Amino acid sequence: MNTYYAANLLIFAGVDIIACLALNLQFGVSGVVNFSFIIFQAAGAYAAAILSMPPDTAPDYSFQIYVGGYQLPFPIPWIGGAVAGALLALPVGVVVLRRLRADYQAIALLVTSIIANTVINNARPLLNGAAGVALVPQPLQDQFNTNANSYQYLYIALTAICVALVWFVAARIVNSPYGRTLRAMRDNEIAATALGKNPTALKMTIFTVGGAIAGLSGAILVGFLTVWAPSTWLYPETIILFAAVIVGGRGNNLGAILGALLVPVGFEEVTRLLGRMNVGPPNLIPALEWVCIGLFILGFLWFRPKGVLPEPRHVFAGGPIEEDTRWIEGTRAS
Amino acid sequence: MSLLIAAFGFGLVSMSVIALAAVGFTMQFGITNMINLAYGEVMIASAYLAYYLNKAGISIWIAMLGGAAFGAVFSFLINRFVYAPFQRKGTALLGMVIVSLAISLMISNAMLPIVGYFSVSYRERFSHLLHVGALALTVNQIAIIVLAMGVMLAVHGLLRYTRLGKAMRATAANPTLARNCGIPTQRVIDVVWLITGGLCGLAGVVAALDSDSFMIASGAGFLITALAAAVLGGAGQPYGAMIGAVVIGLVTELSAAVWAPDYKQVVAFGILVLVMVLRPQGLLAKRGALAAAG
Repeated sequence: MNTYYAANLLIFAGVDIIACLALNLQFGVSGVVNFSFIIFQAAGAYAAAILSMPPDTAPDYSFQIYVGGYQLPFPIPWIGGAVAGALLALPVGVVVLRRLRADYQAIALLVTSIIANTVINNARPLLNGAAGVALVPQPLQDQFNTNANSYQYLYIALTAICVALVWFVAARIVNSPYGRTLRAMRDNEIAATALGKNPTALKMTIFTVGGAIAGLSGAILVGFLTVWAPSTWLYPETIILFAAVIVGGRGNNLGAILGALLVPVGFEEVTRLLGRMNVGPPNLIPALEWVCIGLFILGFLWFRPKGVLPEPRHVFAGGPIEEDTRWIEGTRAS
Repeated sequence: MSLLIAAFGFGLVSMSVIALAAVGFTMQFGITNMINLAYGEVMIASAYLAYYLNKAGISIWIAMLGGAAFGAVFSFLINRFVYAPFQRKGTALLGMVIVSLAISLMISNAMLPIVGYFSVSYRERFSHLLHVGALALTVNQIAIIVLAMGVMLAVHGLLRYTRLGKAMRATAANPTLARNCGIPTQRVIDVVWLITGGLCGLAGVVAALDSDSFMIASGAGFLITALAAAVLGGAGQPYGAMIGAVVIGLVTELSAAVWAPDYKQVVAFGILVLVMVLRPQGLLAKRGALAAAG
């Protein structure tokens, strides 16, 4: 097990954990089914790329076309990635979250994700179209040799700091009175509204916070991969994250982390192992993997809708309260 | 000017294709309360079935019937073995959306190793041009328009003038009340899945015939245009979907003529966004997207 492989595994795991924590805040805690999650990660990645790359007139970069190119030092690209995710969440949220019914919101977000990918794919002058941006500078590459093992450790450490930071924020949100309000909205939006809570404002806030965290995860990813193209953020990538949160346990931050380790990271490793054994025709394994992810979602929603680590029951003084999980499991038909 | 007239001709074809897809989609939602995101993938699966029949030497117009039958059976089975059990279990609408998205993912990826990544196209015959006034359309395109109009009339007749259609409308309006009045709602819903699945399969073959070539990834595009037409007309409203198809078909083709053909779906999406901001319930529905879920 060499250092590069370990770094690869740990950094992907870190990025997936950050993404799952953000999705858990939106989907698990607040009930916003954000089927366009991956476009916020993409926005963060593109923003970080543009902020750290030189203009496309620079000699080594003239084979691609993109707007901007500001050559800003680390950590500005990563912060910029988070800001881009949050900024993108504002217009999307205003259109989708304001008046639509919950299941329409989910569909509108799914369509948004597909269309955003089509637009970026076809509009080459914006972000180099289908080919995507390449040669994105790695953070602090002017001070370290990026091929050395020590740089891999540094990148792991930076990712770990971000994971810890995001986990801290997510835990604070989930355990605060604000988190309680979010859960109240998720469990019974009409009752929460009757108690004077504004569901649109709550959803907008958590959509923006989740967008910022997703943007950060994209910035970390692009700094490590150094390339970013539309084919890396197709809408099924969002479904993997949903599978992770559903399997791990939605509404529970630890569940989201466990899900991130089980589903995206686990599947990545299984593919690598099977790929080495050369089983079947070349496209068979990845395709079957997607089928398995679908089965995972169906199986967990059927047999264990609360996931491996269910959301802890929140019981308050004054007697046990039966929690309302109808928002996704629904009521048993008579 | 001639460019616009040509675009209008393509718009007629486009709206026929979209209407076929959107009416089935919106009836599934209206009657069985299921937003079936796997619709686009069932369309593509049917299109591929017709492709293999066509390759075996069968005329595409007969293969089209095969595609429709396949779509009907496939949709029926998906509902019987996946959607209906989840609905009986009491899964809420949001959960059902996730379930149907998972099904969509599974269908497209289960097909990939069989049909491959590359785009294919039908072997069409008699594609010479016919001139109708200032319009110039191929025989295939005219056949598509006639077919779609026939199917729309059939749907109208079914819903308005038959006992089954009446039972469908009753089930859509209030399933519990319909059951109490002696309507076998379970059987009605089974028939709805067969009919809408047939429309879905037919729409898939027609859409594939209309575009020069198709591949697995085209399913998402099929779904988006059908969805846009259905939402524009008011989800669950078959007549609304027809109006939506007319608007989206015309606008996308005109925009392709004056702007860029790559952005047809983006224009459909723009219409969808406008509807969601200005009139979320759609053109015809009274409640639609604004009603409380569940």
